[in-house]
Amino acid sequence: MTGWLAALRAAGVVPASYVPDSSVGRADRADVAPAALVEGVAVGAHPIDPHGAGPPATCFVDGIQRWRVIGVQGVVPIVRAYVAAAARRRGADRRLVTVADESREFVITRREGLTPPARQALEESGLDIVDLPAEDVGQPSRTLTAAHLRVDRAREAVERSLAEGCAAGLAGNEWLVVDGLLSDSESLAAHPRALGVIKSHGTQFFEGADLERALTLPDRHRSSVFAPRSHAHRAVYSWYLRLWPWEGNDLLYGLVRVEARAAPETVARASAVSGWLYAERAPLATPDTRWDRLLYPIHDVETYLNARTPRDLLPPPASRLPRAAS
Amino acid sequence: MSPEAPPVGRVVATEVKPTTPHQFHFWTPTETSIGIGAIVRVEEPGNGKGETGKVVYGVVTDAFAYSDLATPLHDVVGAEGDPARAAAAPTVRQEIRLWTAAVLRQEPEEPLQPVPLGRVFLAGDADVAQALRMDAYLHAATPTAIPIGLYSAGGLESPVYLDAEFLLGPEAAHLNISGVSGLATKTSAVEFLLAAIFQHFPRQKGKVAAVCFNVKGPDLCFLDQPGELRDEDRRRYARLGVEPAPFERVRYFAPFKADGVNLNTLRTHPDLASSVEPLVWGLPEVLDFAEVLLNRDDIDAKADAFIDFLADRVLGRSFEDGFGREHRVQTFADLDLLFRSIFDGLEHTAGGRGGSDMWRTHHIATIRKVRNRLSNISTRCKGLVADDGPSSDLPWGDFADRTVYVVDVANVDPLGQDLVFARVVSKLREHLERRDLGVDAVVVFVDELNKYAPGDGPDTYVKKMLLDISERGRYLGLVLFAAEQFRSQVHRRVVGNAGTQVFGRMDSDELATPGYQVLSPATKIKLATLPIGELMVRHPHFTQPIFVRFPRPAVLRGRDGVERYPPALDLPFEDAVVRQLRRLDARVRPNAVKDLIADREPDDVRRALAAVRRTRPTDVLAYFRKALGTRVPLGVVPRERASVPPLDAIPEDPY
Repeated sequence: MTGWLAALRAAGVVPASYVPDSSVGRADRADVAPAALVEGVAVGAHPIDPHGAGPPATCFVDGIQRWRVIGVQGVVPIVRAYVAAAARRRGADRRLVTVADESREFVITRREGLTPPARQALEESGLDIVDLPAEDVGQPSRTLTAAHLRVDRAREAVERSLAEGCAAGLAGNEWLVVDGLLSDSESLAAHPRALGVIKSHGTQFFEGADLERALTLPDRHRSSVFAPRSHAHRAVYSWYLRLWPWEGNDLLYGLVRVEARAAPETVARASAVSGWLYAERAPLATPDTRWDRLLYPIHDVETYLNARTPRDLLPPPASRLPRAAS
Repeated sequence: MSPEAPPVGRVVATEVKPTTPHQFHFWTPTETSIGIGAIVRVEEPGNGKGETGKVVYGVVTDAFAYSDLATPLHDVVGAEGDPARAAAAPTVRQEIRLWTAAVLRQEPEEPLQPVPLGRVFLAGDADVAQALRMDAYLHAATPTAIPIGLYSAGGLESPVYLDAEFLLGPEAAHLNISGVSGLATKTSAVEFLLAAIFQHFPRQKGKVAAVCFNVKGPDLCFLDQPGELRDEDRRRYARLGVEPAPFERVRYFAPFKADGVNLNTLRTHPDLASSVEPLVWGLPEVLDFAEVLLNRDDIDAKADAFIDFLADRVLGRSFEDGFGREHRVQTFADLDLLFRSIFDGLEHTAGGRGGSDMWRTHHIATIRKVRNRLSNISTRCKGLVADDGPSSDLPWGDFADRTVYVVDVANVDPLGQDLVFARVVSKLREHLERRDLGVDAVVVFVDELNKYAPGDGPDTYVKKMLLDISERGRYLGLVLFAAEQFRSQVHRRVVGNAGTQVFGRMDSDELATPGYQVLSPATKIKLATLPIGELMVRHPHFTQPIFVRFPRPAVLRGRDGVERYPPALDLPFEDAVVRQLRRLDARVRPNAVKDLIADREPDDVRRALAAVRRTRPTDVLAYFRKALGTRVPLGVVPRERASVPPLDAIPEDPY
């Protein structure tokens, strides 16, 4: 690693260090999408099945992304990116064990914007290079947004690839829980024992009273099952689930949205599955700030992935400046 | 351990918990065989140029476990306040087993650097030998390794050896063992170690013997009898290379009871009694160690001077008392005659004018005081101290190689115990200095050391002697194996000079004393809960304490011995005399002896018996008859009292 960085610097690239906030988390995207109710004629609050037991074995899949600007030549940034995903399986011993992981490290820049020595040094590094189009290179905000988009795509691809492989290998009574959308993948969306658990609620599916009932679900309740129809993703069924009482916090506190295969049995077992997911509140996924919506096994996968992330891509935990003795 | 064995952990270091040249931390899976006291090997990866990295050996001294729980409150929240629900959570939190280890050895030793962040392996036999620096004396041309026990961890067992040069001298010496009473660990450990010494002490380094003071119960009374061993014990013996057998050569010594014919020991079962020899001393032996007996009270310089006068000018010499009488003082009885002569003479010289106070520059009060003290000894230690001359003693000058000499003083008055201990050890030192003891090294085993060498209290003769042994004994081959319940209560120089220190299960209060501050809390907890048969050992070659397990001694334990060989009741006087004589000569007919002593004064019989023991004639009965002398009808000649009654206290006697 230090070799190609040194070569880049020797080629005139100015060292830089910019770690975007979005590198450590994903922002909700505000969106409006239609949905069709599958269960009932209006969105209702259904109590979860308190006896809904989880399957004997479950795989949990999550992914992470880390990127930072490591150098600049002119106004062309050189972004180093790392994406990874892992599947950790929980069996009868209730302990999580990694069954699969995948990662990708690459550089995002616009090679044409670099001097020949810098370009040569970069190409000789052996890393994947993702070229930005000319229109994305300019003001840093525009360039970095474009880079961010590519990192997102890469992470989603790794996650999807890993989850699909994991789903294909599930035993007859095993389930798969993916952090995020299930509808991104055709095979996952059609899998009878796959769930997507979404913590971000940028997309609005209902309006009026239905929206109010969906977002004010009481604790231990789920919403009616509905079918999101807006995006170009695969057909799935979905419902909201309240993991923690929201009163005293905000509407989205403790609220997750679950995606499952678009099939009648999904509706039939929505309460049982909700009861299972509700039980996943414990252990708490602290110290993650999203602990009210983050299932502990997913948090555990993130911890695993973070532990394997190249150290130089992690944000420093605190200032390295010397502290005063007092 | 084969090099292919998988690692059990990995060294980790953070700013808060870095590795140092003396300490490191490593993690293991939650399911691990590592525990406090385990020895591990850390391997630094090679540099890729064919050079191997540093190898570090360490012993686990502390352990930590924690999960990713940010605060205990989060567990309460997650379980909604119900502990049962917490246990039923669908996922077990990530948790860690983090271990702290103290460095035992680094290879190469220079330059001394922090422990590398390498893989951690459980130590095998070769690793343990390296880690504890046993390789130098285990694989030397002349091995001096003495097995002390088995180190065990993770299903592996490795023998641990002490270096004889550091256990028996001359490099270092002495062993101190601490532990709570009642578990038999201290005595058992010493018994096993003595067996190991006798079997492994190199012949070319000389002869070695042991003198054991049995100070309580029947602890050491059956060292020559086989005890029960379990298969596990036999396996440990085999692993340590020690033959599981009782001691081949044991000689027992015990004083008589007050009757002067029955031995004061619990080894009196008819099958064993013949192997106990009497320990009886006379005036010269006592006077040499008068300081032992007198220093308990406020004996002053004047009394000391008078005792020295008696020892130098009176004892064993023809002595004129200044009043016209010639004395030859050899016994307590002779001494009492001298005292009476002095008191009578002083009164006579004064011509009835109130008496003189001075005799040869010694005040009469001083003379009375010394006389009282000495007569007190012959009363309190009757059976050990004979009124009429020496009788039986340890075989000074004729000690045999690999032989245990047990001196049973368990039922002797504390004053007598002090006397026995002081005299035996002093005689050992004298003979070892002259190199004429018969062996080159002697292990002296003393239990209840806090009684003989307490950390506080007056400087008694015994304490000073123990200090002398512990500080200079190693040059002579006089080695102290001492045991006590509370190490903190023993004189620090006695404990500090013990090259090898052994700890059994310890009392928590004792562990809280400053002497144990160097131990980690986890090690202290382990010490407080050590099972029988497990010890913590410190030895000059080991940079850290090591836990070992030793097999049960192959000898009969005291309690079992008393059950198997119940002590016989005291014999009637006549039968006891018969037994004493038949021990010397099996041809002696009991009836002949009983006829001889019928109607004879017991003191006369005892005196004759002592003469026989002292002389050990070919014809025991004939010599006994001669020593007993002609029967004198009672009433014809008034008998002189041979015992030494204490004088009545006089009002002005300040003592």
